[in-house]
Amino acid sequence: MKTGNENAGMKMMNGNEAIARGAYEAGVKVAAGYPGTPSTEVMDYTHHYYPEIYCEWATNEKVAVEVAIGASFAGHRSLALMKTVGLHVAADALGGAAGSQINGGLVLVVSDDVGRIAGDDYNDCRHYGNMFNIPVLEPSDSQEAKDFMVRAFEISEAYSTPVILKPTSVTCKTTSKVVFDNDYKYEAKYRNIYPISFSKVIMTTIMTKAKGSEHPKLTKCFNDFVANMRRLAVDSNESELNRLELNGKKIGIITAGTPYYYAKEVLPDASFLKLGLVNPLPAKLIRELEAHVDQLYVIEDGHDVIEKNIKDLGVSVIGKELWPKFPDMMRFTPDVIEEKLVPDAPKRTPMKDVPFRLPVACAGCSHNFISRILKQHKIKAAADVTCGLIGCFPHMESYQLQKCMGSSPGLAHGYNLATDNKEKFVAMIGDGGFWATGINGLLNLVFNDSQSTLIIVDNNCLAMTGGQHIASSDFGFNYKQENRLDIAKMCEAIGVTDVVTVDAYAYEELEQSILNAVNAKTNSVVIVKKPCVTKFKLPKETPFCIDQEACIKCRKCINVGCLAIESKTKNGEVEIVINEDICTGCGLCSTVCPTEAIKN
Amino acid sequence: MMQDTGKNIIIAGVGGQGILLFSNLLSKFYLKLGYELKISDVIGLGQRGGGVESHFRYSTKPVLSPFIKAGDVDYLISFEQTEALRHLHSLKEEGVIFSSTYELTSTSVNTRLQNDLAESKMEIINRTENKKFIIDPEKHKSSEFDISKMMNIFMLGYYTEFRGYSHDEMIQIVKESVPAKFIEGNLKAYEKGAAVAREELVTA
Repeated sequence: MKTGNENAGMKMMNGNEAIARGAYEAGVKVAAGYPGTPSTEVMDYTHHYYPEIYCEWATNEKVAVEVAIGASFAGHRSLALMKTVGLHVAADALGGAAGSQINGGLVLVVSDDVGRIAGDDYNDCRHYGNMFNIPVLEPSDSQEAKDFMVRAFEISEAYSTPVILKPTSVTCKTTSKVVFDNDYKYEAKYRNIYPISFSKVIMTTIMTKAKGSEHPKLTKCFNDFVANMRRLAVDSNESELNRLELNGKKIGIITAGTPYYYAKEVLPDASFLKLGLVNPLPAKLIRELEAHVDQLYVIEDGHDVIEKNIKDLGVSVIGKELWPKFPDMMRFTPDVIEEKLVPDAPKRTPMKDVPFRLPVACAGCSHNFISRILKQHKIKAAADVTCGLIGCFPHMESYQLQKCMGSSPGLAHGYNLATDNKEKFVAMIGDGGFWATGINGLLNLVFNDSQSTLIIVDNNCLAMTGGQHIASSDFGFNYKQENRLDIAKMCEAIGVTDVVTVDAYAYEELEQSILNAVNAKTNSVVIVKKPCVTKFKLPKETPFCIDQEACIKCRKCINVGCLAIESKTKNGEVEIVINEDICTGCGLCSTVCPTEAIKN
Repeated sequence: MMQDTGKNIIIAGVGGQGILLFSNLLSKFYLKLGYELKISDVIGLGQRGGGVESHFRYSTKPVLSPFIKAGDVDYLISFEQTEALRHLHSLKEEGVIFSSTYELTSTSVNTRLQNDLAESKMEIINRTENKKFIIDPEKHKSSEFDISKMMNIFMLGYYTEFRGYSHDEMIQIVKESVPAKFIEGNLKAYEKGAAVAREELVTA
């Protein structure tokens, strides 16, 4: 949206809010997504500020992309939101849309956790731009996040392609000024020019076999996606998304995202090619910069995607040979640029050996009860992607296996098959992971006659990303009581032999239920219920405290993995104490104390 | 009006201490003064109790990098002593430290996976050549507000006094931003913070 008129509004926004504003100004009608740090709030802001836009949290990322594709084919601009790990789940859906006819603009907002700030794998969604031959936009700040959203939809329609807009953990969580048009009136944009839109598999079958045909039944299937992207690559040299800043002749920097600002601050006199569109690349601008400077560098967060694509153009650049990527470097900072390109810069190093903070669960979390029981009874188990994965960390050691979201039922089934059910390997999953993709693993183990046990932790939300609703939640954007799905009924309906539901805090009953399920020679599900303590702000019970006279400092309570229990050193003496501001009074720690020193 | 052309501030602590609210209130204040701003929040892995840091930059010129380069920090405001240590190297020579003595023992130390620093953390902070203001929340406990939850607003009063800004304007921002039921306690915390700073500045 062009601004600068006298009715320009201004607001401080983080990248997530700016993207939501961009969706609104682009006239998006349908937004579907799946929560994922750092971009979850894009949906929250869209839903909160712009009721004109239909919002939904879909069952998983693949479904979200499919919903957006359907709405786009109907002629309306649609948005799918996820983080890069989620795009792995949705990749098949995106592949189906890539290169096909697009009616209403189709944009995927896919956030990369650069620097692994939120703890994701070291991923880079721009690879999908290369693989599917689709455009990728990378904003550097909130203003660009908003403006690029509008441009992303325009590109999607003008070049008939899905478009990825890639914010990062830095752009999403950085607040800066956004100027917008106060007079803007929302209008759901509509464009419907293609009567069909098929995946490239169908389309290319017809296009290659019936080349040159003029029969309308055949030509309506033609979509020259290769030419569309070539046209965009040419046009990108003139696009305001890319900016050539010719200054000093020594150093030329090709960059995108927030690293542009790091480099600009450290090297104000250098020449720059700041890319907003990172795929396809503006070859002419790159060569212009190359001709202007002695040495070209590429500074990009994530993988060496731009670097490789530039090298493919036959242009020589220095990138990862100077700044090796993960795990040598987590992300760019002004400091690492200065270190390599400003010879006399003073070196500052952080203090060594400052203790790090292992992740721990919130005090009172139901996952701690399950972790404790599994460990106590030496039950081998797989965790999932859930708050409960904290039980994998070395202070807890409750799980032996943990992979991707929704994986634990499949992992346990495979293990039990290979070991002839002699070890009774158990799967634990959150309710979010269960509905997202874990349900497929459960279906699979039922009809393949597995004897595996699945523990489903029902906390009424997707806790890890801040408590968004899921199919079994009793709230949500589009919530209706009659549409709420019930985990126990679902498990029974798909044929699980034994389904029990227990309260997480009913320690002995929970312990017995898990042992019964594990010992049964059938498939089974134990549903452990307790609303998320943090999301639902459960009322606190009287906090527990440790009788220092009785405490033998065995630290068993610390290894329960509760945030409230701390080791304090006072005058050389170690004391194990419970932080009463944090303790919720759940009492789990008192069950492990050999001297009954923990009381309330 | 603006002789101060800008400052770089790191606000650090652990989850649940209201660091993001602190930087949000500060941003409203500097925005009213007409500054350009960039605020970048780094919220690490982990649930409650993980490290949180906010890079807060205000300037008369547009702010470029969302992160402050080591050596460019004017003020380090820390709500937890371990988190203060992580940023000491980032301070300018004339940079100032504001730190709470509160400590949330690192989980790796609790579980004996890692040794704690042999030396007292406060001694390390006190040994730096930077000007420093150390606040012991235990000393300022009050029946009128819960300092464990309102240290952020206490610190806001302290900082406002230190900078010689208008308390009326800052208090107005607090009133507009904090839920009604918490305003009273927060204003007490604010006033206490300002009063403690006033005493410190006389003796400093």
